[in-house]
Amino acid sequence: MVKKWGKVVSVIMATTMLAMCFTGCSKKKDSKTTTADGQKIREYSLFVATAGKEVPDDNRMYQKITEKIGAKAKVTWLTGQTDKERVGVMIAGNEYPDMIVGSNATPDLVAAGALIDLKDKLDNYPNLKNFRSTEEWNMVEGACDGHIYYIPIFGKSNGESMIVKQNDEAFWIQKRVLEWANWPDVKTLDQYFDLIQSYLAANPTDADGQENIGYEILCDDWRWFCLENVSQFLAGYPNDGAAIVDPVTKKAKNYDDIPEAKAFYTKLNEMYNAGIIDPETFTMSYDQYIAKLSSGRVLGMVDQGWQFNDAVTSLVSQGKDDCTYVPLDLTIEEGVATKYFTPASLNVGDGIAITTACKDVDGALQFLNDLLDPEVITMRTWGEEGVDYMVDDDGMFYRTEEQRENAKDADWVNQNLASTIYSYLPNYSSGLLFDGKNAVSPAEQPSEFREGLSEYDKKVLDAYGYEKWTDFLDYTEDIGPWYPIYSAKNTWESSSEAAIAAQKMEEVKREWLPKVIMASTSDFESTWTKYMDKYHNDTNYKVFEDALSEAVAERIAIAEGKN
Amino acid sequence: MKTETAIASATPLKKNQFSKKIKKQKTLVFMSIPFIIYVFIFNYLPLSGWLMAFQKYRPGKALLKQEWAGLFQFRLLFQDETFLRVLRNTLCMSLINLILGFITAIGLAILLNEVKSMFGKKLVQTISYLPHFLSWIIVCGIIVDVLSPETGIINQLLLKMNIIDAPINFFAEAKYFWGIVGISNIWKETGWNSIIYLSAITAISPELYEAASIDGANRLQKIRHIVLPGLKSTIFILLIMNIGNILNAGFEVQYILGNGLIQKVSQTIDIYVLKYGISMNNFSLATAAGIFKSVISILLIVIANKAAKAAGEEQLF
Amino acid sequence: MERQEKRHAPHYKMSFGSILFDVIKWLILIVFVIVTLYPVVNTLAVSFNDGLDTIKGGIYLLPRKFSMQNYLTVLRKDSLRIATMVTIARTVIGTITQLFVTAMLAYIVSRKEFVLRKFLTIIYVLTMYVNAGLIPGYLLIKNLGLLNSFWVYIVPGMVSAFNMIVIRTFMNGIPDSLAESAEVDGAGHMRIFMQIMLPLCKPVLATVALFIAVGQWNSWFDAMLYNSFNENLTTLQYELMKLLSSVSSQSGNVDALKNTGSMVTPMSVRAATTIVTAIPIVCLYPFLQRYFVSGLTIGGVKE
Repeated sequence: MVKKWGKVVSVIMATTMLAMCFTGCSKKKDSKTTTADGQKIREYSLFVATAGKEVPDDNRMYQKITEKIGAKAKVTWLTGQTDKERVGVMIAGNEYPDMIVGSNATPDLVAAGALIDLKDKLDNYPNLKNFRSTEEWNMVEGACDGHIYYIPIFGKSNGESMIVKQNDEAFWIQKRVLEWANWPDVKTLDQYFDLIQSYLAANPTDADGQENIGYEILCDDWRWFCLENVSQFLAGYPNDGAAIVDPVTKKAKNYDDIPEAKAFYTKLNEMYNAGIIDPETFTMSYDQYIAKLSSGRVLGMVDQGWQFNDAVTSLVSQGKDDCTYVPLDLTIEEGVATKYFTPASLNVGDGIAITTACKDVDGALQFLNDLLDPEVITMRTWGEEGVDYMVDDDGMFYRTEEQRENAKDADWVNQNLASTIYSYLPNYSSGLLFDGKNAVSPAEQPSEFREGLSEYDKKVLDAYGYEKWTDFLDYTEDIGPWYPIYSAKNTWESSSEAAIAAQKMEEVKREWLPKVIMASTSDFESTWTKYMDKYHNDTNYKVFEDALSEAVAERIAIAEGKN
Repeated sequence: MKTETAIASATPLKKNQFSKKIKKQKTLVFMSIPFIIYVFIFNYLPLSGWLMAFQKYRPGKALLKQEWAGLFQFRLLFQDETFLRVLRNTLCMSLINLILGFITAIGLAILLNEVKSMFGKKLVQTISYLPHFLSWIIVCGIIVDVLSPETGIINQLLLKMNIIDAPINFFAEAKYFWGIVGISNIWKETGWNSIIYLSAITAISPELYEAASIDGANRLQKIRHIVLPGLKSTIFILLIMNIGNILNAGFEVQYILGNGLIQKVSQTIDIYVLKYGISMNNFSLATAAGIFKSVISILLIVIANKAAKAAGEEQLF
Repeated sequence: MERQEKRHAPHYKMSFGSILFDVIKWLILIVFVIVTLYPVVNTLAVSFNDGLDTIKGGIYLLPRKFSMQNYLTVLRKDSLRIATMVTIARTVIGTITQLFVTAMLAYIVSRKEFVLRKFLTIIYVLTMYVNAGLIPGYLLIKNLGLLNSFWVYIVPGMVSAFNMIVIRTFMNGIPDSLAESAEVDGAGHMRIFMQIMLPLCKPVLATVALFIAVGQWNSWFDAMLYNSFNENLTTLQYELMKLLSSVSSQSGNVDALKNTGSMVTPMSVRAATTIVTAIPIVCLYPFLQRYFVSGLTIGGVKE
């Protein structure tokens, strides 16, 4: 017995010693701690309140950039909690990293006084200062009572946007359907479903003998916008997300009871009864949706471009290029100007911030400034000259076949390129590099884009006389300064009437929209009426609209510098 | 057992025995002190955070400097019929899980105990607890696949056996949901839950079986008269503890498997709190819901404990 | 022990009823084994299947397009070595200390004559049903100076009320005469606890040890909440959670990640991480299993 206890004690001792080792000694052996000229590398901790890609410490470009600018950020991403919970804990405990991207919890960080005001410091850091225009800085100040607590990261194009692929919401249709119909122009909802219906009638199964599916509506959890917010686009409004905003009266109005909504759901009901829509669609999980898309059976759907990337990758790897999709900007009637494809918006509610815990605020700002150095920008997006890309005699960048293959391999990218590690630190997202000729993003370099296309894709673009996928959509910059208004919802107190109204509206829609679509043709009108009654009587949608209208007014005032 | 305690406290003891008792208790009291301090620090001190339920809490300010809101959060919680509905869903799913969970876990333990081959016993037991290590997201993915109207094996079986003529879309109709959740829970946890009963069965003295054999009892009789009574105290204790957990019907399963068409039966209190609370940064609402659950739980275990006492069974405290 | 096992195996007459009983028993067990084995086999198959192929669905018992990529992705992770060490350390230390401390409390509250018995039981039982919430819990840990420390994995979870009750219930079933005869011999409580109760409670201690070890092995929330800025204190499950959310996030920000396709998908990485973390527990299992499957007897004094 005594011997046995001795054994237990010795196990505890041994493991304790082991544990002490971790806590006490050992500083990581990894990457160098000094630059080539012997300067100490400054390291800043950075927390990003969103899920993100982890990059190994020995990632090649991460190390190269660190060496070049003598500083680096150690990035931690959100895991397993909501942004507000995680940041809430940090605030309560008054424990911050050096730098932080607070996502939805940014207002809480500001309110808690956790962020350093950068307003007077920015002049010393020209790259950072020039990253945003004076107007944009004014808007940021307007959102923070005259301070600059954070630098908005995204949606900055250096010059004109060169985006080639629709990443946002659109109607999508398989290329083979267009080919079958001899490349028609599809402009209205009716044309779209007519095309799908006639294709399906002529081709009930695909080349592998699988049954084709006409149309899918993804509505798993938060991804349900594919069902819910389509009416705003059909009515010619941009993706404000929560409501449509009248450009004249500046009032927010829900898009659930507008005529376009009824027209859309009437059409879906008709299609559901005609067997065009997958009967499983309302109970399908996201995984099942991606599985169906990847099988190449689904002819069309509404979705955001990024959401089915994996399915497209899978289709391409199976050689089913004809089953991939092109975006369409449909309306109910022909001739309505659409706003599916708009420039990335400036979100003044979030950005990279430096916290009160940072001991070297100027160093951190210098680090961010250096990341926007023209040479470093190239390193962040293109990589290393001669290794990741080549330069021709005219100074144009291009990639060899091998380099192109490397850049497609996610694992290789994870080991070698820095495009993801600093993805939440300021950088130009589109447009041209400072040399004025090459695109910021390799994927948007015209020669690279064309080279990267498959033969089938070239055929599709040539059939329509287009250069890139976004040519299928009308582009407009005509969006209000309030855009996107849905982000205002994040700032509402959860106990406010408007927030509760929003939650109620969601509940009613989640239940009734599928019911409306699944109703038999003869029951459609009565079901729609019941839905509308429920919507108008059970939800405080007016309060919701008023709260959004208020937010619109506020944002306009900020944009006009009146705040 | 009971009588002994009664005797100990009722009979006046001889003086030397009495002082011995005190001395013995002194060691026990001494041993208890660290436990009392520990539980106070780690479990009761932080309960000052319950004050949040009566505030509009915003992180960053001291607890006592927050904006006070009286019973506002509780009113928000109990605002309307939605809360009653999620309360009903929670209770029903919990009860289904509780009952099915008990029966299957005890049943499995008893069946395993009847397996004579040590190898077979260990093998079945090992396999049965493996699903415990799969996360809900994996298990739910499999459930969705198995029940799919298009490719799911259940629908194909039912069709082949001519029980139905068209595939059932299990997740489109409210009537199936609670059953699906109940079965999912059994599927994942039966093996794991049976471990505790297996270990309790080992404490049953073999002499009892031998005596029963001599009396000519068959196997079912032995299960009824030896194994079940041997498990009784474990069953009662776990039952009382689980009754206290009745408002925790789970969160992930319902969240992953639910959808708009059946949300009226799928939402639980935890999902409700997430939708109205945490996702919008309302720590106060979550705390209020926590207090509500605690109060109900404590009431229930007190009642269950009283009932056990009245029935002369093992009590929790 | 061998001898005891044999002694325990119930001896039955081979009557018709007994055979019928056996048939039904095995039928139930076989169906049960098939049903519970399926999700595990399916997860294994997915973990060895090519990620892009998996998202097409339709993987059941065997991989369709074999690939080690998922495991490579998991095992290649930078910090996995240190995370494994920390996890082993916390599992060993955590299990032993919690088991010992909880058993001691169970012993104290199983002493029927003890005056504080009911009080102690109640204050611990209540901890199962009251929860202070995320922020108060965090502040406590911070004020105790346990942030960024290994001990945050051990100290806050040292006593589990549930396990205490489980052990106590088992102890209640042990004849009092054993402890009493030891007392007559002049043994103190510490000695009775260590030398009589602990050995007698082996089956339940093995069960509880398993509960604790699995809990310690699988926990990641504490590592994330308290130690996420100290990479030397990261745990296996936390690293794998990070990996998983990192794989799932590829569609997160479009601006940032638009150029790369992925070879691994959340579904396949999730399957591989599940297998990777379950294996050590499955290996440890037989060592504990023999205590609660083979049927030790209490022996010694009869009631």
